[in-house]
Amino acid sequence: MSVKIKEYPGTPIREEDLKQGKVLSVSYQPKAKYIWSVGVAIGRYLAELKNGRIIGRQCDKCGRIVIPPRMFCEWCFRPNDRWIILKDSGVVNTFSVSHISADATRIKEPLIPAVIQIDGTTEAGILHLIGEADPKRVEFGMRVQALWKPPQERKGSIMDIRYFRPVER
Amino acid sequence: MGFTEKIQSPKDMKHLEGEIPVNYLYTVGVAGERFLREIKENAKILGVRCKKCNLVHLPPRTYCERCFEQLDEWVELANEGQVETFTVCHFDLDGNRLAKPDILAVVKLKGANGSIIHRIQETHDRDIYIGMTVEAVFRERKDRVGSILDIAFFRPPAR
Repeated sequence: MSVKIKEYPGTPIREEDLKQGKVLSVSYQPKAKYIWSVGVAIGRYLAELKNGRIIGRQCDKCGRIVIPPRMFCEWCFRPNDRWIILKDSGVVNTFSVSHISADATRIKEPLIPAVIQIDGTTEAGILHLIGEADPKRVEFGMRVQALWKPPQERKGSIMDIRYFRPVER
Repeated sequence: MGFTEKIQSPKDMKHLEGEIPVNYLYTVGVAGERFLREIKENAKILGVRCKKCNLVHLPPRTYCERCFEQLDEWVELANEGQVETFTVCHFDLDGNRLAKPDILAVVKLKGANGSIIHRIQETHDRDIYIGMTVEAVFRERKDRVGSILDIAFFRPPAR
């Protein structure tokens, strides 16, 4: 409430009013199910992650390698040309230190989501987590390498890479 | 995969499945509360008249959206009205074929300017027409919960 307005207009209700049926209401839970078909490029990308390899697509006109891969170069406006097997190392392009999880509950060990520019590519990168690192010492341009899950645990998902960890120099 | 191949199901391709949790709770509001309670307690359908433009709102509201007048003149409406428009549904919300088609209609009650959307039963879908007279059939008192479905359906009145 502010100085001018002592009480807001409207009809205040409390959660108990709903529970006790004092207030009529309608509740509904729509089933928001979806299937996302990953397409040709991401399909191959995920299949290669299962093999423990990171793969990108190269455009012959501008020479750029894109990852995650797509079959089209949006710079040159043409289909791109070839698959390139990349290294599983790169540099931290940007990062964040998160003390809460996806459902906004506090977590003890902070998560460090980061955009990692894979070696051989020239821009942006892939979003992943940084592990085995002191959050206070993570910095832009820091060299990191993928820590893969063992082959039998891989599912063809980006989480087949457990996290990226700093490379000792 | 050639250009001529057609994929009928997205599950035939590499895909990811997900589900977004969505919950909602809608409180019916001041006017909706009185409207539904009257149906529940007394099996009566109420509208509300605007003193300024004389429009009888159904479903009732707290103010007239034409003249911004506060609405407090409640009027009892007939349980009978006319079919303004209708549709015959052969499939349910999930796309499964219904054993018996569901007739949904907009019913303009006698004495009201507005209409309510409801089901029509006890008639064949071939016999329904725009302008047809229908009456509300209420559920038993003990089964009424304060919902628009306390009106079980509308049907052509017995002549």
